[in-house]
Amino acid sequence: MNGNIGLLGAGLAIGLGAIGPGIGVGLLVAKSVEGMARQPEAAGLIRTAMFIGLAFAEAISLYALVIAFILSAK
Amino acid sequence: MEKLIQELTPHAYYKLVVFGGVDISITKAVLTLLIAAVLTFLLFWIPSRRMKLVPRGWQNFVEVLVEFTREGLLYEIMGEEGKPYFPLIATLFSFIFITNLVGLIPGSLPATSQIGTTAAWALIVFIIYNAVGVIKHGPIGYLKTFVPPGTPIFLAPVMFPLEIISHIARPFSLAVRLFANVVAGHMVLGVFAFLSFTSLIIIKILPFSMIVIMYLFEIFVGGLQAYIFAILAAIYIQGALQSEH
Repeated sequence: MNGNIGLLGAGLAIGLGAIGPGIGVGLLVAKSVEGMARQPEAAGLIRTAMFIGLAFAEAISLYALVIAFILSAK
Repeated sequence: MEKLIQELTPHAYYKLVVFGGVDISITKAVLTLLIAAVLTFLLFWIPSRRMKLVPRGWQNFVEVLVEFTREGLLYEIMGEEGKPYFPLIATLFSFIFITNLVGLIPGSLPATSQIGTTAAWALIVFIIYNAVGVIKHGPIGYLKTFVPPGTPIFLAPVMFPLEIISHIARPFSLAVRLFANVVAGHMVLGVFAFLSFTSLIIIKILPFSMIVIMYLFEIFVGGLQAYIFAILAAIYIQGALQSEH
């Protein structure tokens, strides 16, 4: 077996790093839609909060992606 | 993979090195950024030359954009007290959005795929919101807001360094979020383009249609990331303005 072990690390980094944010984004959107369905007049507020939350959840997996780029570029 | 990374690394059109090795060459990314800046300027400047009471066409579009930035973005977070920061937030939103869109033109390099570009914007936001906080509360008063009101006195030495770390992480995450979103989007486009070149002739249509879908998605992502960057800047400024209750 030969080849760049960094590629394995990169794959693991983004794969494992996407699990948590994936669960987080799923919960976030599910609850937001629930809230919007229950109270359509608050949809605008909920949507704003949802997008901000999405950005924070997504950023975590993007850190993993940056690490993956660094590892795979070595 | 290496080809894709090379594609996103700018090559200098015009070599220019000043001040003891600081590289300010005109690269593709710089060119894209300049084009985006000119486009942003023209977008708002041209219709403002001949403003009509009843807007039509271009002016209508710009008015919708401005109103969305003000009502849907700034006032939603800061309320009426956000008025002085409207130029900053509107500039961030429209400039980042247009930079992302210009970067999507085939053959161009998105300026936001360079960490330096996004880091500069994030640093501007960082400096501004800290300055706003210091001006509002005074240097000592601003440091006091780092410890939330009602914290027990023995917890304060723990809370204070934590807040400092979270403040330092803010510009970092602002910069990396925008940068990584754009780079990841272009990587995906690149992978599907590569697949549609190399795959069998019968199934070429599959990766190609994925390119089309991803392209539309990238336009959406460009807008969303601009929105998030601007809204986070508004939230940070509002957090710095907030007094202890």
